[in-house]
This record gives sequence, C-alpha cells and structure tokens, in this order.
Amino acid sequence: MKTLWDLAANQSAVVDTIDTQLTTSVISRLEEMGFSEGQCVLCIRRSPFKGPLVVQIGDCVYSLEQSVADKINLALAS
Amino acid sequence: MERIVLVGKPNCGKSLLFNQLTGLRQKVANFPGVTVELKTGQFNQFEVVDFPGTYSLHSLSKDEEIAVEKLNLAVDDHETKLVVCVLDAARLERSLVFALQVQALARRNNKAVVFVLNMIDEVERYGLQIDADALQAELGAPVYALSAKTLQGVSEFKNALPELVAQTTVPDALTIQLGEQTKFIERARQLNAAYGIRSDVVLKNQNRIDRFLLNNVLGGVAFLGIMFFLFQSIFTWAQPLMDGTEAAIGWIASTVTGWLGAGMAADFLNDAIFGGVGAFLVFVPQIMVLTLIIGILEDSGYLARAALICHKPLSLFGLSGRSFIPYLSGHACAIPAIMAARTIESPRKRLITMLTIPLMSCSARLPVYALLVAVLIPSDATFLGVFDLQGAAFFGLYFFGIVMALVVSTLMNLFTRKRHELNDMPFILELPSYRLPHWKPLLQRVLNSGVQFIKRAAPVIFIVSLCLWTLGYFPQGAGLEHSLLGKIGHFIEPIFEPLGLDWRYGVAIMMSFLAREVFVGALGTMFGMSGAEENIAGLAAQIQADGLSLGAGIGLLLFYVVALQCVATVAMLRAETGKSRIAWGLYVGYGVLAYCIAALAAHII
Repeated sequence: MKTLWDLAANQSAVVDTIDTQLTTSVISRLEEMGFSEGQCVLCIRRSPFKGPLVVQIGDCVYSLEQSVADKINLALAS
Repeated sequence: MERIVLVGKPNCGKSLLFNQLTGLRQKVANFPGVTVELKTGQFNQFEVVDFPGTYSLHSLSKDEEIAVEKLNLAVDDHETKLVVCVLDAARLERSLVFALQVQALARRNNKAVVFVLNMIDEVERYGLQIDADALQAELGAPVYALSAKTLQGVSEFKNALPELVAQTTVPDALTIQLGEQTKFIERARQLNAAYGIRSDVVLKNQNRIDRFLLNNVLGGVAFLGIMFFLFQSIFTWAQPLMDGTEAAIGWIASTVTGWLGAGMAADFLNDAIFGGVGAFLVFVPQIMVLTLIIGILEDSGYLARAALICHKPLSLFGLSGRSFIPYLSGHACAIPAIMAARTIESPRKRLITMLTIPLMSCSARLPVYALLVAVLIPSDATFLGVFDLQGAAFFGLYFFGIVMALVVSTLMNLFTRKRHELNDMPFILELPSYRLPHWKPLLQRVLNSGVQFIKRAAPVIFIVSLCLWTLGYFPQGAGLEHSLLGKIGHFIEPIFEPLGLDWRYGVAIMMSFLAREVFVGALGTMFGMSGAEENIAGLAAQIQADGLSLGAGIGLLLFYVVALQCVATVAMLRAETGKSRIAWGLYVGYGVLAYCIAALAAHII
C-alpha cells in the first residue's frame, strides 16, 4: 500500500488510515494534527538521503521522519 | 488571589499576549528534569499564569505530561476564575482542537472560558476577515479578536477581563465530553470550514521562503551562514561583555580586600569568593547572548528548519536534529549549550545530548590546550610540510572531542533504545510561519536565563570553591605544596603514575575541578611561577626543562578533552536532569574514561 513516505515533492494525496504499529498516543496526536481519513495532504519537500519530508495538511506545515511517515497510509486516488 | 490561566497551541503568540497583559515583571517556575516553564505575572489584581504551548491534552512526552498535569490542577483550583484559550486566527483548525479540549476541561470544573483570536492583523493583511460574533455564538463563550503584536483590540480585552473573571455562571454550547477525541477534531474542522481563512493564502509566504531556506544548495549555504553567525556571537561578541564582567569582579575584589587588609579573611574573600564564585559569573553574559540568538532563531521560525536540515545526519548517532545547536554552542561553553538542549522534542535524545555536550572542547579548555601543545610541539614544526603542527594539534583535539561525543551518544542510544522505544517522541515537527521576533518575550527570556544559571549553579560552586580553598590554604602560610591539598596530592601520586605524571600535575588536576582553566595557574604555582595564565610560553619552557614525556603530555591533553572537569557544568546537569545521580555519575564516568585514555596514551607513545 502507498504511504505518505512514497509521496513525491509537489504531489498530493488523501490520507487513509494510520498503521496501528504506532502507539495510540502518537496516532491520536497525528489525528489531532489533521492526519485523519479523507484529509488532503500535499508534499512540499523531500530531503536528500531519506531525511524528513515536509507536508502541508490543513492549515499547517509539518516535517515527519520516515518511521512516522511510512505508517500513514494513503488512499489510492488523489 | 484570583487567577487567570493562559493556554494555547505553540506559536499562537500566547507569550506575547502574556507580556502585554503583565508587563515585564514575571516569575518563572521550572520543574527539574523537564523543560516545562510556568510563567506567572500580574494583571490588575489578578494573577496570570502562562502555560507552555501545547498541542493536546493527550500528552506524548514526559514534558507534555507534566504540563497537562499542571493545567489540570490549575483549572481545578478554586483560585482559578478564568481560562483564556489563545487561538492563532490564521490557523483556526489546529488551534481549536486543543482549545475545545480545554473548554471541555474547564466546563467539567465549572470554570469560565474566553477565546482570544490572536494575530488577527495577519488575517487582515490578506484582506480577509473572521466573523468573531458568529464564532462566539457557535462556541458559546466570548471571543475577542486582537493582535498582541500591533496591540489592536488588546485594550478592549483588558477592559473586559475583570468582568469575565467576575462572571459566575458558565454559559457553554459545547456538547462534547472530555475523552471524545475524534469529536473535537471534527468540530474544529467544521468551525474552521465555516469561519477560518483559506490555508493556501496563509501558507503561501511561508512556503515561498522555505523554497529558498530548505533548498538543498541555497538552504545549506544559508544554514552554514546562520550557524557561523551564532558561533561568532557566543565566541567573540560575548567576549567584551565577559571581559567587562571579569574586570568588574576584579575591581570589587581588590577594593574589598584592600579595605579588609591582609589576612585570612581577605585571602578567603579574594580566592574563594571572588576567584571561585566570581569566575563563574563571567559566563553569564555568554549565556545571555546565546539565549538571545537562539530566541531570535526560535521566534522567527528558523529553529524548526535548522532541526529539519540536521535531523538525518544526527539521527545516525541517536541524536535529534535539534541537538546541533547545543553541540555547536558547547564549543564555547557547556552551560548555555545544556540550556539550549531544552528545545529538543524527545526527552531521551535531550538527555543524550546534554550528557555528551561536555565532550565538546569549550573555551575553558583553550588555555590548557595552549599550554600543553606549546610544551609538546615546537612552534616551527609542520604537518605534511604545509600545516602548522600546533594548529593541526588543536584541530585534532576539537575533532577528538566531537568524535567521542558521537561515539558516546551512539552507545547511550543503543543501550537505552529497547527500554524507551515505546515512550519516545518521534520526529514530528511543525514548521511555523516566519515572523519577526518581538523584543518583549525575548528580553524576558534572556534575563531569565542569566538568573536561572546563577540560582542553580551558585550554591554548588560555592561549596566546591570553599572546599578547594580550605584544602589549599591550610596549614596557613605553608604554600600550595605543603598544604592539605599538596599532601593529598603526594598521597594519591600512585594514581597519577600510570599517566606518567607526578603529584604536581595531580594537584593541578584536582584544583581544576572548579574550572579547567585553573589548571594552568595551579600548575604555575607548583612550578614556582605566579601569574602563569599571562605567561603560558614561560611556563611551557619550564615544563619542557622539567621533562614531561610525549606520551604523558598527549595523555594529559586527551584527559582534558574527555574529563568533566567543571563544577558549573555538573551543577547545571544536576538542575536540568533533576537528578544528582546522573550529574555526578557522568563526572565519575568521564573521569574514568579520560583516565583510561590518558593511561593508554602514556603507555603506547
């Protein structure tokens, strides 16, 4: 399945679910930050050497590292 | 006293509003081991408490947990009359998630809530508006649109506050209960859709600047430039201030001791109080300058970008992107660097960073390096025929310190990972808008950093200074060699033997626990020289004539790279980690490690 980590720069997608491998407190924080089902997310930047990526969701811009971004699943259609 | 509690998400301009309400007189309460700071000030007859910026009542880290716990207590307290939820008008959705949770919490405790739509000037700058009245009806609590920066609407809010505090009934339209997590999120989204402004408008400027500052090439150049500026500021620009402080202390010391006349009291005041405790006051300007620069970086929004740029390389060593600035600052002085580690989001990485900062070669090691390098390496020697060998040796020592720090942090990370993996805070960082920092909260922070340092370090430094002075002074008039300290030096000489050093070095090393640079002066005294600090070359020649083997000399240098010979750092570590065990354990740990490295060097070379 495609995750947020697979998103290229300037590409947008729709958030699907968050992998339950993350602890519930991290999942709920991500939801509070806007990463919940049906929300549109835009990748602003990819860093070289698998550094954190930068995404825009709702009214905020966040930077997430791989271990978090690859647990956020995306819906196929964008 | 009736209390007003101020809450909001990070970067919503809450601190500035707090400053506008209370003025510059405020008290800061710290809690050992965490970065949580509660600021208390006064507005009219009310006490105003500023809580740290929080994203949610559901805490992720220990710091957040304590902040939320304190908030729960404060809202529950009968003195608390009003909870002010500060919202970022340009980011309504994100601010409302937390604000609605707080509203539910306040209602459970029968406390009145008021919402402040801060930074309304930003919204208006885009030619947009927010219907505060309609939002007020939806939220069932008063909404005040204002800008703490331009002061627009602030006086209206101030005038309304006494009445808001006095209201007894709590009208509230919120139907969500605490614990109904997703409902808060949905409600915030719904309200934002109806009243908020379009996010692409808000984020346009920010993203445009980020295209430059986060660019792989240009962003890298900008990063290096900014870090060079930071390094310069703590190293060279703080110098005149430090010199001034030193001169002032020296002047007071000579005036007071001159007035007392010769004798033990004068010696005590001069050496233990002004020499020992006074010497650490010299660091206060440096700490304040660094706090100022980091404050500017943080408030302008760049600090988050710097963390993003550094995150990947530093994560290889178990550190966070935010460890970079503390590490860099550590090359000037470990104390402001340890304070700068407060910005690290993960408590575990913050601890690892703090514990490895003392391995950075700080400016107090410079005199020690200068002396020993001058002893060991002829000034005209070259390295590979091009580089000055003394310069190369200095570089090598700095490099060795950095490598040791990275090795130690990697090991600490490996040994603590399993236990803490579940509780660790992942790297999730909000990139806030770029803003011009406001001087009021900055000035407050700078003053506070100096006060905090003095409060925390002074007692420990006083005690150590007192002990060392007593040991070095008695029996009276015997001189350092025949003093108690000298006797201890002779007694423990076997300990220093494997390092190829005699008792004189041992005594100088013990003396330098107060601060590393004391080593030079103390060793000078042992070699019968006064004022060795000003005549490093002279002392170096004496040591050369006395005969210090190359292996022992290199060992001693490496010892000073690794050993935590600084009581102020130990005191600061104790205060910041909240545990004496960690601070003194680290002192012993690095001491043993430094000893082993030095013994190995003396043995091999």
